[in-house]
Amino acid sequence: MTVNDRLKESERVKPKSQFDFFHDERVRSIFYQLLIAAIVGWTVWYLVTTTANNLEARGMKSGFNFLGVEAGFDTDFRLIDYTVGIGTYGDIFLIGILNTLYISVMAIIAMTFLGFIVGVLRLSSNWLVAKVALAYVEIFRNTPLLIQIIFWYTGIFSLLPKVRKSYDLSGGFETIFLNNRGFYMPWPVAGDGLWMTGIAVVIAIIAILIYRRWAHKRQDTTGQITPLFLPSAGLIILLPAAVFLITGSPLGWDTPRLEGFNFTGGAALPPSFLALFVALTIYHSAYMAETVRAGILSVNQGQHDAALAIGLRPGRVMKLVIIPQAMPAIVPPMISKWMDVVKNSSLAIAIGFPDLVAVFMSTSLNQAGHAIEIVGMTMAFYMFISLSISGLLNIYNKRVQLVER
Amino acid sequence: MTVVNEKKTTARAAPSSETSVLGWMRKNLFGSAFNSILTVVTLYVIYLTVKGLWSWGIADAVWIADTRRQCFGISIDGACWAGVIAWLDNIFYGRYPREELWRINLGLVLLIIWMVPLWLPRVKAKIFIGLSTVFLYPFLAGYLFAGGDKDIFMQVMVSAAILCLIGNTLHSIISVMTGNSLAETLIRVLNVKNASEKSQRNILIAILGVGFALVYVWQMGWYVESVSWTKWGGLFLTMVIAGIGIASALPGGIFLALGRRSNLPVIRIISTAFIELFRSVPLITVLFMATTMFPLFMPEGFILNKLTQVIIAVCLFNACYMAETVRAGLQAIPKGQFEGAHTIGLGYWGTMGFIVMPQALKHMIPNIVGIFIGLLKDTTLVSIIGLFDILSMLRAISKDTPWLGLHKEPLLFGAMLFFLLCFVMSKYSRHMEAKLSTTHKN
Repeated sequence: MTVNDRLKESERVKPKSQFDFFHDERVRSIFYQLLIAAIVGWTVWYLVTTTANNLEARGMKSGFNFLGVEAGFDTDFRLIDYTVGIGTYGDIFLIGILNTLYISVMAIIAMTFLGFIVGVLRLSSNWLVAKVALAYVEIFRNTPLLIQIIFWYTGIFSLLPKVRKSYDLSGGFETIFLNNRGFYMPWPVAGDGLWMTGIAVVIAIIAILIYRRWAHKRQDTTGQITPLFLPSAGLIILLPAAVFLITGSPLGWDTPRLEGFNFTGGAALPPSFLALFVALTIYHSAYMAETVRAGILSVNQGQHDAALAIGLRPGRVMKLVIIPQAMPAIVPPMISKWMDVVKNSSLAIAIGFPDLVAVFMSTSLNQAGHAIEIVGMTMAFYMFISLSISGLLNIYNKRVQLVER
Repeated sequence: MTVVNEKKTTARAAPSSETSVLGWMRKNLFGSAFNSILTVVTLYVIYLTVKGLWSWGIADAVWIADTRRQCFGISIDGACWAGVIAWLDNIFYGRYPREELWRINLGLVLLIIWMVPLWLPRVKAKIFIGLSTVFLYPFLAGYLFAGGDKDIFMQVMVSAAILCLIGNTLHSIISVMTGNSLAETLIRVLNVKNASEKSQRNILIAILGVGFALVYVWQMGWYVESVSWTKWGGLFLTMVIAGIGIASALPGGIFLALGRRSNLPVIRIISTAFIELFRSVPLITVLFMATTMFPLFMPEGFILNKLTQVIIAVCLFNACYMAETVRAGLQAIPKGQFEGAHTIGLGYWGTMGFIVMPQALKHMIPNIVGIFIGLLKDTTLVSIIGLFDILSMLRAISKDTPWLGLHKEPLLFGAMLFFLLCFVMSKYSRHMEAKLSTTHKN
């Protein structure tokens, strides 16, 4: 045997020990990488030098000094104080960012709720309801968002009655108004001692958390289920309410009043905001609904049957078995849908809502020049948001993976 | 003890709850009290919606009028479709010279002729036909739409495209009728079936060469008037941008995805950075970047027109989205497929091209088509930076003096048009997925 083996070994073709320069994998890989790096490096260098030449030839200045220069234009809607003639391009940048975040957060909250509702309706056992939900999803997913936004703006919100004939949405109390200038509602004004109510809310939340932990522990050890919802709800409502009343209701309301040709006081949202909000919410809720549906369908039917078999009530089946297993399939796409809302809020420019792209990338760029800095800053903002959101997603995925078997 | 019944019992009919309309309704619409209420309420809402839309959009609508005032005169609460009808040419063709519209229509007809064989049975070489659509048709259509003098490169490409179109069409007709390919038929007609394979091939190449020469000579005398890109508009412009975007997004996406999954760190890092850069910002900022910063990137005297800038931006943007979809498809391919391909001696490109990519792409067809649909919808954004695409045309109606303030109807018309296109695309993708699927269904 061994002799035989040895003989064979000597007969065996030896692998090529010679180093073949042109066919060696490592050499090739280094060569290709160097080649690509050289091409990319050369392109970047070329772009930078031509841009520098162009800037010089056109006598354009570069640098971020323009952020301190006064902007000289106003925006329809803003969340911070700003005066024309004093406010700078830096302020405009901030206004744009806040407006973008404001409309995005509002639309994200609304579209998530609406999307969950439509997604569950899509799976309804009622054939008619399921088909209506399907029609909703197909109609709004298959038409361009920009057309929807412009439709809501020019076709609905701009055609509302004039200021003097405003709709009174509060039903005769004359506090909430809707007209072609926008939506007007009362705004709370904090009085002295409101902070005590705030503290009461915080205390209530902490108490609820402690109570829930205790209830879980009790269920783990004794198997007895303690009611959670009612005590929690009572605590979060009653405690702050009591403190609020004891401290003498320190909260006033600033209601909108008709003065001259327009409303003053309260909080106002322009029609462009409303159109953008409604369009973003409806459009994205259609996508969200499909995500929710796919997530719920991803849970095996056997899970549902088994949960019913061990005697759980249908509500608890949803809460304890289906939803926890569907969430890992829903959350990652849901978060990327949130990101889409932030990005699509940039379409505000089509209807004149002053978001970041409209006030900074368009108006400021046209006035001040500095194309490279402004485009760079705007993109950097969106990238920052995007990276933060995907960072959140990674944390979530890690937590979910730990539970996975 | 076994009991064997000799007589066959006849199958009982399915219970009426499973077969009759009433049974179906009881199960799906009126299963419980709550369900019944839900059904009734939904029916009522549907009734209200349909009734409102019907009376506004069709029953009370005005179809023939000269101005919006006339519309109001005929019916105050109906839609005024007359404005949309008066602007139909503008919506479809923009400001393209009216006497040259045949060129756009011819371009569309040629595209249809070119692509029909892809759906015909018995036609071989569909991959070649598909590739030629992507790589040759744009030159023919581009000359047809833009016109003017052709430089030598354009002349060669246009000739190749025309020759290819003729060849494709002949090939498909012959294939459908006889089941043979064009080359086989030529060989038979020339009676050289017994010649060696090499001489057969030489004969075919000679025919190709002669054909090319003939077409080349013919097209030298073919001239259509130049139409500046600034006159392009309407649905036509939207389709040009979307078409180029769709044709380039898939190859671009495949290369970026391969780059991102490469073992070579430099290529991986560059691809990843590129993809993430474009995916994290909105399209509108990329379009702004293209129109404001591309001129600064170019050497002096070299000016890219706005349409080209926009098309480049759309292509880059969508290639990055496509890359992530392709990557997801690649990740779904089991490792065994890669190893199997290596075992039978395929290199990197062989493995990817013959084994991995076909499976990955097949997997992702609905998602890929989803990106195409998104691209088509997103082309409306070019109206923001001042191209006269379909949305600009729709918005322009409300600024036209006779139709001042006509907003809803044009936008609804545009929405319906897009809905039709996108809905058909997504339904077709489901059909393709089912047709190409090789997995066992349970």
